Parts: sequence; structure tokens; C-alpha cells
Amino acid sequence: MASDQGGSEDEPPSLLWGQDPVFSAYARLYVKDILQMKESLQVPGIYFYKNHPLFQVGVLGTVVYRREREDFYCYGVDDSTGVINCLCWKDEKWRDDGDSVKRGGSGGVFNVEEQLRKLRETQRSSCMLEIGDLLRVRGSLKTSREQREIMASSFYKVSDPVMDVQIARMLEIPQLYRDCYDKPFQALGSEVEASTTDAGGHPNFQSLLGQSVRILKKFLKEKEVAKFRPYDVEYLLHPLIQWPPRNTASGQEVTSAGPSFSTQVKNLLKETLKILQSEGEIFRKVLSPDELYNVTEQDKDLLAAIRDMIREDSKREKYAEKGCHVLHILSSVRQKYSRNLSREALEVALKFLECNSDIISTMDSHYTVL
Amino acid sequence: MLPSPAVFQFPWEINADQVKDGASMRTFGRLTSYFPAESRAVLTSQHMSVQHQVLVHTVFVEPFNPIIGAQYIALGEIDKAEGCDEATLRARVLNCVDGVNVALLQKAINEQRNFFKERNNKAGSQ
Repeated sequence: MASDQGGSEDEPPSLLWGQDPVFSAYARLYVKDILQMKESLQVPGIYFYKNHPLFQVGVLGTVVYRREREDFYCYGVDDSTGVINCLCWKDEKWRDDGDSVKRGGSGGVFNVEEQLRKLRETQRSSCMLEIGDLLRVRGSLKTSREQREIMASSFYKVSDPVMDVQIARMLEIPQLYRDCYDKPFQALGSEVEASTTDAGGHPNFQSLLGQSVRILKKFLKEKEVAKFRPYDVEYLLHPLIQWPPRNTASGQEVTSAGPSFSTQVKNLLKETLKILQSEGEIFRKVLSPDELYNVTEQDKDLLAAIRDMIREDSKREKYAEKGCHVLHILSSVRQKYSRNLSREALEVALKFLECNSDIISTMDSHYTVL
Repeated sequence: MLPSPAVFQFPWEINADQVKDGASMRTFGRLTSYFPAESRAVLTSQHMSVQHQVLVHTVFVEPFNPIIGAQYIALGEIDKAEGCDEATLRARVLNCVDGVNVALLQKAINEQRNFFKERNNKAGSQ
């Protein structure tokens, strides 16, 4: 387990830590992981889960151990994966409880002091927990005497009579790990480094993809392209991919192990078109070997077909009041225009028509014409 | 000083060999009977049309307000060394959670287990 938490040499430089959103959040990790995380060699008090730097955590669990001192409580919190000590300081204002505030006898009148006293009492009672209570605690991590603890910055008892809160957390955290904590943190600075050193360009394929999507969208919009084939736009992506390095010494071309330039461009274009299709910006009217893409917003026939279809159907009694639902529009347009039209593309087209006031939306996902 | 973490176990797993003597765990079930004189309670649950029982030793959590028929969560250590064939859970915590969505709770427990299983497999394959 300890081995896959990343060695100290994998620590990203402290200058880049702020780029990791996990760093400035209260990481909701399993207690087990909190206890096993490595402390940073650069800055004490910073810990690493995988290569995410963090120093604050948020934990929810059952109190299984409790010790009270004059100015703090020490709660052992069990989240079913581990048990961790939480140091919870008693607030200054607790000590002069009750006595200094006179009990107002004026019944019926809103008494600020009285209300304040009640508020404090509630606050205090939510901070005094017994074994078996559910505690939510947020705070920074500290290792003292070989033991990891949470120095609580806020903590309170959670009322969870039917375990809703606990169940929600149990369902949520695995997803959080998959979406966030288990994904490696890639600092922007190191990415730039990687792209200059690594000619293959594999580690930053995602950023390359983002750039090519932007380039293609800009091109389609500026030139008002209605239809295109992949080879028409391929040249646009050439600047993104570096030419294979030439061995200047011998004048020979290096036969690199990586994919050739043209396959790299083709792959990038393929992925880019996939993204544009999934966003509905483009679609293929017919699936034929001839790869022809229609640009949704520029496809006059599609727009006219949608408009006419909504106009026709809005006259029918069934749709007169609410307008046509988007799924109804989709099935009609698929029958009349292209069986291959995606819902995303239809939504892009509907939005375009709505912006031009050709159609209006009556309510969520319903459209009509005036 | 701190007790070991109490992992969720299904009531039908406790008498199987999966749970070792002295292991910390938590489980759930309906309180069907309580014998204050002996500090003993029984939690019952259904699984695959079989009724399962968990014996709970309640001396650490007394006095408590027993609501017969209500769902409870028990957290404590398993005691199997008593010579009898059924394991006893020495409860440190016994909370009434009547109204809990048991199906959802089971799903959540499985979700958490799957996550750890997946992760251990990944770590093992590396």
C-alpha cells in the first residue's frame, strides 16, 4: 500500500501545489488513507495522497473514543476504514457560560441576550459528543508522537437518525476517488516541460486535443463551412504536431519507434471529430464510406426541416398548448431528414433557431413557433 | 489506545469464517429480543429468504432504551471463543436507526467494498 502512494522523489515542487484543487480543499479521504499518507519532505504538515499535496481533510465517522481536557476534547473517529484522533478545542466563550448573561424576565419580548444564550447552548451541545455519536470534523493534519491527528477547525455532531448522511457519504466517496483523488495531479508547469522534452506528445494528448477542437471550431465558424471531409481540414492540425526530429549529424531521418507524423495527425483529427460530434457541432447525414460531415448550425436544410416540422405539429391539438417535446422533434426529424442525427446535434440546431427567434421554447425541452 | 476500525459486515457473514474472533466490526438488524438480566440482545435480519440472527452483548452500552422491532446498528468486537457455535458481538455502540433504507445501506456497503477490492487488485497487478 505504502509503495503506491508515491515516493518522495515524485513530489511535485511546492511552487506548483496551489494548482491542485485538492490542495485548497478539505480532502474527503478515507481515514485509512489519511493514516497512511506520506508527509512531504519539503514542507512538514503537508501530506501526499498519490501525488496530490494536501493538508486539510474532512472526515465523518462514529465517535469510538473520547477524552476531555480542560481546553479541548479528543475524539477518536471511526469511518469503518480507520480510526483517527481529532483534537477539538473548546471555544473561549464557553467558559463564562450562563452566569454573565442575566436571565431576562421580560416574557414575550424578543430578547437578544436570551436568544444569544440559547444559540450558544445549542452550539455547545453540538460540540459535546458521546461515544456512538456521529461527528463531522474538518481541519488540518498533524503528526505528533508518531500519531496522525486532525486539528479540528470546525466540528459538530451530526444528527443522522436513519443513516442518510452516512449512506450518502459511503456512496459518494468511491466516486470522488475515481474522479479526483486517484487521478494524478498534473501541474501546468511540468506539462510544459513534458511537451518540450517529449516529442511523442503522449502525456499531453488531452491538451493537444483541446487545442485542435478549438482550432477546428474557430475555422468552421469563421469560414461558415457547411460541409467538409476530414482531409479538407487536416492541414489545420499540422502546426500542433511537431515534425519528426531529424538526425542532423548524419542527415538521415530518424526512424523513431513512435507513430509517424501522418498517423499522429490522423489520430488527432479522428478524436477531434469525435468530440465535435458528441457536442453536436457536426454530424454525418448518412453513414457512408465517404466521410462527409455537416456543420449543424450551417445546415440550412436541417434548420428548415426542424422549423417546418415544429410549425406543422404545433398546429395539432396535442402540441398546441405546450409545443413539441425535443424527443418528438428528434424522431420526426430523423424520419424526414437524417436517421443519423444525434440528439446533441438537434439541441445545437434548436438553440441556433431559438437565438434567431425562429422558434421559442415554451418550457423545459418544449418548442413551438409563434 | 484507539480501538481498531469497525468494518461493516453483513449479519449473514458473522457466523461464517470471514469474521475472525476479536475482530472489530459493525452490523445492522432488527432488535427482536432483549434480556436485561443477562445483558443480551438479538438482532435479526433477512437475506435470501433466510433469517439471520446476531447475538449482541450489551453490557458496555447499558442502560439503553430498547425498542423491540426497530432497526439497530451495533459496533463492537466479535467474541467467538465461548465454546458455543454462535458468535457474540460485544457492542461498544448500539444505535437505533429505525427507518433506515436497508437496501440502500447494503448497496453503500457493497460499493465501498468494491472500491477497495478494485484498488487492491490494481495495486496487486502493478
